Amino acid sequence: MIAYRIAALCTASFLAPIAQAQALPAPPANGELGFVFTHFAPAIHQGAQDCPDGLAATLRENYLQTQAPAERLRLLEKPNEAELTKRWTGYAFGPQGTNICTHPALFDRPPQRIVQGKVAQGLDLDEGADADGCGHEPFTSPTGQTGVDNQTWRAMGCVRTWRGVDGTGGDIVRGLTQFLVSGEHTQVLLLTGVDSLQDDPDVSVIYANSEDRAVVDSKQNFMRDASYTVVANAQHRNVLKGRIVDGVLMTDPAQIRLRQTWGQGSERDIRGKRTEYDMTKARLRLTFQPDGSLKGLVGGYQPIWDIMASASIGGEGAATTAGYDCAAMYAALKKLADGDRDPATGQCRRISSAMEAGAIPAFVNDTPPATKVAQQ
Amino acid sequence: MIRALSLIVALGLTACSAEKAPHSASAEPSFAPLKEPLGQIVTMRRLTEAQYRNSIADIFGPDIRVAGRFEPIVRPVHELIATGAASSTISPAGLEQFDAMARAIAAQIFDADHRAQFMDCAPRDAAAPDPDCAARVLVPVGRYLFRRPMTQEEVAAYVMMAGKATESSGSFHKGLELGLAAMLVSPHFLYVVESAEPDPESLGGLRLDNLARASRLSFLMWNTTPNEALLKAAEQGQLTDPAQLAAIAGRMVRSPRLEDGVRAFFADMLLFEKFDEMAKDQIVYPRFNPDVASALSEQMLRMIVDQLVTQKGDYRDLFTTRRTFINRALGPLYQAKVTSTQGWVPYEFALGDDRAGLLGQAGFLALYAHSGRSSPTLRGRAVRELLLCQPVPNPPGNVNFTAVQDVTSTAMPTAKMRLTAHNSDPVCAACHRITDPLGLPLEKFDGIGAFRPRENGAPIDTAGLFEGVAFQGNVGLGKALAASKSTTECVAGRAFQYATGRVPEDNGGLAGGIEQDFAKDGYRIASLFLRVATMPQAYRIAATPLAAPQIAMTTRTGVHP
Repeated sequence: MIAYRIAALCTASFLAPIAQAQALPAPPANGELGFVFTHFAPAIHQGAQDCPDGLAATLRENYLQTQAPAERLRLLEKPNEAELTKRWTGYAFGPQGTNICTHPALFDRPPQRIVQGKVAQGLDLDEGADADGCGHEPFTSPTGQTGVDNQTWRAMGCVRTWRGVDGTGGDIVRGLTQFLVSGEHTQVLLLTGVDSLQDDPDVSVIYANSEDRAVVDSKQNFMRDASYTVVANAQHRNVLKGRIVDGVLMTDPAQIRLRQTWGQGSERDIRGKRTEYDMTKARLRLTFQPDGSLKGLVGGYQPIWDIMASASIGGEGAATTAGYDCAAMYAALKKLADGDRDPATGQCRRISSAMEAGAIPAFVNDTPPATKVAQQ
Repeated sequence: MIRALSLIVALGLTACSAEKAPHSASAEPSFAPLKEPLGQIVTMRRLTEAQYRNSIADIFGPDIRVAGRFEPIVRPVHELIATGAASSTISPAGLEQFDAMARAIAAQIFDADHRAQFMDCAPRDAAAPDPDCAARVLVPVGRYLFRRPMTQEEVAAYVMMAGKATESSGSFHKGLELGLAAMLVSPHFLYVVESAEPDPESLGGLRLDNLARASRLSFLMWNTTPNEALLKAAEQGQLTDPAQLAAIAGRMVRSPRLEDGVRAFFADMLLFEKFDEMAKDQIVYPRFNPDVASALSEQMLRMIVDQLVTQKGDYRDLFTTRRTFINRALGPLYQAKVTSTQGWVPYEFALGDDRAGLLGQAGFLALYAHSGRSSPTLRGRAVRELLLCQPVPNPPGNVNFTAVQDVTSTAMPTAKMRLTAHNSDPVCAACHRITDPLGLPLEKFDGIGAFRPRENGAPIDTAGLFEGVAFQGNVGLGKALAASKSTTECVAGRAFQYATGRVPEDNGGLAGGIEQDFAKDGYRIASLFLRVATMPQAYRIAATPLAAPQIAMTTRTGVHP
């Protein structure tokens, strides 16, 4: 078994430079490249020293910590399980029917355990300036880039459903990927004016939603070369200025807003809650792959409420079934927020974040705003 | 077999009818039962599923749902379903399905939402029989369903059934509902019963009578039941007058509904029923999802209709045109940008793209391939048999397919190499010489019709040969077919078979004559349909007349045969 792993590692190390050396495809003659996102989920890096005291505690665990040691031991006895369940689930509720996930700000709880490691995925969003931030210690990326701003990971990286295990992201990653597959919030990218995938100082980028569901094969994998039309809603059609450097597409900081839908009904039925990705000072850093696809990161400052949208929408179910202590989660996010400082209170309202993204070639029909008006 | 068909309508059956004419009706519906005896029955052709559905929609409205499984009509070897329909029986299980559909249709027509459309009278008592009102409802709808006025015996029987059903159910409308269900399983509805009269042009011969001609015209041109205008023309004897027949057929061929007729004809000619059973290996072709599968036949039909009906184009250009239609599901397979989120949009292949023509459509390429690999032999055979009307013998039972099935062979990476090895057996080579030169040019398209520049890393040789002319690729094949007289003679002969349900017995002479007229009119499909709809030979009856179908129905005086 060990020999097998070593052999695999050797193979990987040999293959990596070969893959990097593969030539990138030439752009089409019209300089237009379209993509559909196949992956868009929090960027996960499972550092060994991230959570030395364990994962973020569940609501049940936090409730038990409020009890005296003797009472705690009594509640943990098997015959008292029903009583414990009743008491810890009751811990999720406040006065007048409020619950800890829908109204976490109403519950005064200490922050959940946060990431202690120094390495995380992400981008340098403040470029070291942090003019309207609240101060934070940046991470270093797995490849050694310093100044990485990803306080979201610091706050959420010890939550089991984010962190996952053994190199695999948690449920949040699988869930968000599935939402893309089932077309809950399709994202597309349209690049124009591309002269080279290796280096091009001036590329126009439209990063938008599409109402079109993913075209997938019989294994539920996205199919290349499917067609998507940009949404008519200009709010979710982000026009960005970009450039390509050494095969990496980068965009200038801008606000990026994209539709987000949480949850789904039947296999092909959208009836989830509508929210939004709202990222300020956001930018893309996506690397062209030899097969024409893109892989990389999308970073930006998100409202702290948006980070816990899933738990918040889940309401009491997120607390009593998934076991989230949303108040502790909220407290951590609020404490670590590092963007959009409120001049009056000094509290930062946004938090730096990084989404891991992947996209494959697609045909994208743009819907310029002028066309939309005419159609209406 | 048809002669033996009999239906025992022993249930409480009541007929219900629409006082409304079919959608295109233009005159008052007839209330008069047929006073003259039915003509001599010469053919009975079973309705296809599409014809059944279209008939129900035209008679009762498109909101009436038709749900059920249709027993397929068996296609005779190298012939059309249209010819198979003339010798098609209905099994007991198939009749059960028709009965279930009939009851469901009848229930909709006489539910509270619909009945007013089909009744211009109210029963004296909603819980008691009312023969007069029942007749007023039954007689007009019977005329549309049977494509002729009902006989007096039929009217009496169905009215009596309605009455008995009303008595047993306590509801006049329920009685009508059950009666209509009985009419919908009558052979006079499920079959197009063609009747004949003495032919004044041929002593002792027969020709189709007026009402039979109305059905012939309607199902040929529009793939549906005759409308009021056509029935009226038939009742007035206009369809046996050559000039009036030509005028009426001319109007029909210029109607937008010709599209339905053209679709049905080519779906039959190109064996589209095979799409229902087409399966692809999901390991080999993961891109072949259900959306792709369901789009393939529609794409072909849209292309055909556009070229032949909308553009009024030359049939030969069907093999070379770069115009087609595409939807989102097919976009990845064609690697083509689809500009519309929903539905179909016109698409034109680039000049020089090997996709042009009917044979470049993924539907044809996928249909004539194996589940996990392409097949030059199946494709070549399909071209020969379907488009050139040149039957190819089946392979002998003891063929060794090892070489052609070894698709991962490094020694023989392409299908052409594998076939060459296979054809070292002279028994195999004899037939492959007929098929493969027409299938190998399509080898740059895999088993689902997706383009592939190479096979197993090896370049693909798309050289082909037809009627002594060498060419390359699908475009070359399309041009070769377009230039061949065999292509146009084939479709001309097929059109005659489709219209009449029979194969000409003159060894191609009739088809040749039709083809000459087809050529004079620039190979326009409308002209071809008009020709076969008006030529006297199509209405002459050579076969021995059939006995009338025996339908046992309970009447006041006992069992009426």
